[in-house]
Formats: sequence, C-alpha cells, structure tokens
Amino acid sequence: MTATPRLGRQRRSVGFVPLAWRNLLANKPRLLRSSGGIGFAVLLMVMQLGFERAFFNASLEVIRLLDGDIFLQRASKYRFATENPFPSRDLEAARAVPGVASAWPLYAAWHRLFWRNPADGKNFLVRVFAFDPDQPILSLPELDANLKGLSDLDTAIVDRRARRFLGMDPAPPAAELNGSRIKIIGSFALGPDFENDGTVVTGDRTFAKLLPNPRGGPPDVELGVIKLTPGSDPITVNRAITAAVPTDVAVLTKGQLLELERKFQADVSSAGPIFAMGTLVGFVVGMLISYQIIYTDLAEQQPQYATMKAMGYRSRYLVQVVLEQATLSALAGWVPASLASIVLFRIVGEVALLPLRMTVELALVSLLLTLSMCLISAVLAVRRVITADPAEVF
Amino acid sequence: MSAPTIVDAISPDGLAPTVRVEHLNHFYGQGESRNQVLFDNGIEIGPGQLVVMTGPSGAGKTTLLTLVGALRSVQEGRIDVLGQDLSALGRRALVGMRRNVGFIFQMHNLFDALSAYENVKMAMQLGECPVAEMRRRGTAILDRLGLGNRVDYKPRSLSGGQRQRVAIARALVNHPKLVLADEPTAALDKDSARSVVDLLKENTVENGASVVMVTHDHRIIEKADRLVHMVDGRIASDVVLHDALRICEFLKTVDAFQDLTPVELTNVAEKMTKRRFVKGDVVIRQGDMGEEFFLISDGTVEVMREGHDVAELGAGDFFGEAALISGEPRNATVVANDNVDTYVLGKADFRAAIEASASFRDQLYRIYFVRH
Repeated sequence: MTATPRLGRQRRSVGFVPLAWRNLLANKPRLLRSSGGIGFAVLLMVMQLGFERAFFNASLEVIRLLDGDIFLQRASKYRFATENPFPSRDLEAARAVPGVASAWPLYAAWHRLFWRNPADGKNFLVRVFAFDPDQPILSLPELDANLKGLSDLDTAIVDRRARRFLGMDPAPPAAELNGSRIKIIGSFALGPDFENDGTVVTGDRTFAKLLPNPRGGPPDVELGVIKLTPGSDPITVNRAITAAVPTDVAVLTKGQLLELERKFQADVSSAGPIFAMGTLVGFVVGMLISYQIIYTDLAEQQPQYATMKAMGYRSRYLVQVVLEQATLSALAGWVPASLASIVLFRIVGEVALLPLRMTVELALVSLLLTLSMCLISAVLAVRRVITADPAEVF
Repeated sequence: MSAPTIVDAISPDGLAPTVRVEHLNHFYGQGESRNQVLFDNGIEIGPGQLVVMTGPSGAGKTTLLTLVGALRSVQEGRIDVLGQDLSALGRRALVGMRRNVGFIFQMHNLFDALSAYENVKMAMQLGECPVAEMRRRGTAILDRLGLGNRVDYKPRSLSGGQRQRVAIARALVNHPKLVLADEPTAALDKDSARSVVDLLKENTVENGASVVMVTHDHRIIEKADRLVHMVDGRIASDVVLHDALRICEFLKTVDAFQDLTPVELTNVAEKMTKRRFVKGDVVIRQGDMGEEFFLISDGTVEVMREGHDVAELGAGDFFGEAALISGEPRNATVVANDNVDTYVLGKADFRAAIEASASFRDQLYRIYFVRH
C-alpha cells in the first residue's frame, strides 16, 4: 500500500516555527545595521513631516486664536497673511443683520511696519495685529492683563517667543515702530512662523496712528470677526450677512478660513512640495537600504529557501515569510527612530521656536510610510525566492 | 503446460515498486540549444532497497533524481512514485507530491537562525504530525541520530557530521517511503560519513523505505543493495549486489564451485539471475536447443529421459550444462516437483565463466563425464 500524496491546503500556522522572527534575530550586528539604516530613513521622513506640520501649524496658529463664529474678508484675499482689507462700513452692514451679536474689526500689517531692536538699533519687518481693546478678539491668555494699557496711544505688547534678534525677550520698556516710539507694556507667547519673525499687538488707535487711512476715517478692516447671538442658526445668519454685504466681501466660517490657509501652504506656496520632496527622498533612501538588506539575506539563504520548496513548501508561504520579515525590520527601524525624533523635535523646536511635536497622527503616518517602504522593497527582492529552483540545490 | 513464472528479482516480496521509470527522456534548453540528457531510461525500485547511483558527472544522475523527486516536470516517458503517475500531475500537485519524499543534499541547507529541532519542525509542519506531538517526535528522531543532547543547538555550534544528521532527521521525520540523497557525505570526514550512512540505512530501508543515493564514496557503495551506473544519460549497468552476494554465499556451499577463488565466484554470481518455477513447470525439454545453465537453490526437480524418470535433483544440484558443453540438443526433460528457485546462467556467460576459470571448467567436465 502506498501513501496517497496529501495535496490539501497548508494548515494554519499556529504553533509553527516563527521563521521570519528567528531570521531577524539570528544576526545581531546585521539587525543593528538594518534598524540603524531603516531608522535613519524614518528619521529623515519624520523630520520632514514634522517640519511640514510645524510650518502649517505656525501659520494657522493666529487663525485658531481668533475668537469668532463667522468671519468677513475680501473675496479676493487668497490667504490670511496677505494685506487685502475692506472698508469698515461693510462690517457695519453685517453688524445690523439679525442674529449677529457683535462684529469687530481685526487690523493687520505684515509688510508695512518695521520694529527697531532697542538693543542694537537694527530694523526688522514684524507682523502687527490690532483691535479695539474693549473687544479683545484674540484669545491669548496673557492679553487680558494688558488690555487696559493698550487703550493708551503708542503702547504695544510683544511676543516673547519671537526670534531672538528682535530683542523682544525679555520685553524691552520701549521700542520703535516705523520710527515712532512705542511703550512696551507687556508680552505674550506665540512664536514665529516661517515668514514672520515676530508679532506685535496694539490697540486700534495706536494702529490708526501708525498707519493712517489715506482716505481718512478708521483704517480698513483686514478681517471682520463676528459672534452670533446664542440660539441663532449659523447658516441662516451666514446667508443674511452674505446678502447684506457687497459681493467683493466673502463670508467664511473658521473652518473655511483655516482650509484656505492650509490649501495655500500645501498647493500654492513652495513649502508643501519642498517637504513632500524631502519625505520622498527619505522614503527612497529607506527603500534602497531595506532592499539591500532583504536582498542580501535572501541571496545568502537561497539554498535554504530552495530546500523548503523541495520539501513541498509553496512559494506563497515563503513570500509570506519574507514579507513578515520585512514588516518586523520596518518596526525595528521605526520604533527607535520615533523615540529619537521625539527628543530631536524638542531640541530643534526650542532652537527654531517652531511647534515641532510628535503627534499620534504623525506617528501613524510615519509608521505607514515605513511599512510600505519595507514591503515594497521586499516585493522587489522576493523574486529571488520565487525563482529559487529546488532542482538546482542538488 | 505452463510457461515458467518469472519472478522479478527486484521485488521478491511481490510488493508494488516505490519508483517505476519507463522510457524516460529529458532535455535541457529550447530549440537550437536543446540538449538531450536522459535517453530512454527505465528502472524499478522496490521497497527496502538502498540504491546507489554512480557515474561520471554529467551522466544524468542528478537529473533523474530530481525528476523522481518531482522537482522537475516529466517531459517524455513516465514516472510512477508511490503509485502516482508524476507526468499526469499539475504544478501544484507536484509540489504536494514532494511532501512524500525525503530529500538529503550535499550541503545540509539548514537555517542558521533555527535550532536543530526547529529545522526538523519545518518538515513536520508539512506532514500529518499534530502540533502537540511535534516536540516529542522531533526530539525522538534527533535522539536516534545521536543528537539527543544537541536538540536546541543552532547549526553554527554543531560539527559538519552533526549538521548533516540534522538534515537527515529533517528528511526522515515524516517517515517518507522514498528518500533521495545527492552526495550526502561529500562534505564529511570518514567516520562521520560512515555513521551518517549507517543511521540513514537503519532508519529507512530497514523499515521498508527506498533510498536512492548518488555518491562516489566507496565506503557507501559497499553498503548498497543495488548499484546503478549511469553513463551519458543512460543506465549502463544495474547490479543487484544483494542477490549477487546471496548467490555467492550459496555457490560456496555447492561442491562444484568449491575450488573457485572468491573473485571467480563473484564473477559467476553477478551473471546469474534468480528464476522461480512452480510445480509442473517444464524447465527444459528433451530435444530443444540448450541456452541456459540452472542451479537449484531450493526445491526439487524430476529429470526424465524418453519418458522415464532418471533422477531427482535438489538444492545445490545443477543441470543443463551438457547441451552447453556439447552444443547438442537437450538430452533430457526437467520438470519442477514443487516450487523451485533456481539461479540461471546464460550460454555466453556460462562459456565465459568456463574460459575464465580452469578449476570451474575441470569441476564441470568431471561431473559431465560422470553423468554420461
């Protein structure tokens, strides 16, 4: 009686030899090189992604701090940090709409006011925000203590986290804006972004004195900050305001305002593609490193894999082992790199005054990139196993 | 009157052969560069045989081995392994077929990352062994191969012989009915090689499995039951060493052969084939031309001349020499009394044996003249 060949499916692998795991741990120096190489690529990617997020977050920070439900701005204004104001009478039209509790102006200057560092006498462009001190529309926690003082002419508060060369930390007693002497009555912590080195906040009267409206009257409004009466329907009010203001003034929610800025940064500014490019370089470097590691390992073990085929293992099982091994080596690179980037973010964030943070989202994105990086290179290298001819082992 | 029943020397127990190869041709390459490496090969290998294949490199030994092991697809001809026609199996089924065969390679090909036991377990995962049983069975076979205290060692910390024994454990753990080995001792020293082959033999052929081994190692050839020699893609000779030895031992007990030297005895024995007759079979008939010489190893025959009983011959007796010596037709009829086993020598081989050995010739002629 002869045995009939068992041609059935491979049984479930519970309790089976963890070949991928054993292969990974077999050669400690190689594991170290592998996780070092892959980890380096992960670090490259995480830093790029972290910088990109810091860049976006920094430019969105002021918008997030705006205390309002609905916002008015010029319809042609394509991003927040560009000067394109509208006349204040349009804001008054909106204020008259039922359901609107308040409508206050935010005045802003990004390119018109120079700050003179009292320490060295050098002039730097700064961004300046201004509003009625009785109607604080920026929810900066340290603002409240200084609101009273801002009502006085020629006063300002400054950003302690501005770039050091501006001389705002600690806040000097006085400085100059466009040659006018300004008394510095306090400070807050906001931080620079990639375009603006420092921020100054003044009252509306000081702002009007520094940059008077050439047509007379109050300065033009950069952004109208509207609050709704409790219980009113935002959509109805939004529609009513749109009808009340000229067509060259747009009515936006905070979400739309943030989205506009994000879209600009990602698509229009050169920043998005630069970071994407940096991430891609990290990805490709990581792919090459992990391909090299996997390929060498497979080449070394080709007789073993061919033997497995001679014993009756199907290619599918062996491919599975290789992919498992790639996944494990991805994790072995990702974990230390993520820990290292937390430390690096803290150091670089302090030096560059940027909100560099390792978030859950960033961790997941980088993990996904690392896994696909290693799996793609495994798929490219696995041909060695598939084409391993068991007849050649003899 | 019934024809003599020829019992195949290869499967004396009447069991189905483990491997049957018929009219096997094989080619490498395509089109212009197509090159035939196997030419009309045929062989049957029965259970419990250790077959050693020899021959110069390029003779097709390894190709034949890989075809039998389902590592290549059959192109022309037919191979049956364990009752399955390999040429009828698809790719998937061929891979499945390999699970019934134990392979041993020149290089052990163990995973460095896995312990001896885990390497063996890789094979068990393909077999029928329940997961809970694996540790016990894997340890048992390693123990039997003298590696009981090396079960959890990595190949790196084992000697060459020990590694090859792990590879053998891996090949044997599922108790395959067929084991194929290609120069399994090539990388081993003398003592390791001997113990590896002894262990291999104990755990296979003695349990009814067939082993086909390609080797040039003379120490192993001595242990073979059968020696297949290949040259230029053809089986040039196929000697059943085991039978030859048995015949040799028997010839020594027969008076007529007692003065032959061991070499002469072996030469005669190797030329003889075993043939069985059942009761009533006519072995030779008076008046026929004589072509063969018979030596009875078991049973009795009746010699009749002109219809009268002349004599009864038994074990150790021989007959049929007269017609071969004189060139005349058979002078008697010989009928089997019961089941009779004989060793048969053809006319040409008989004459060659007489030429080669003066003592054998003298012995035969003496008996010939006594009988006439």
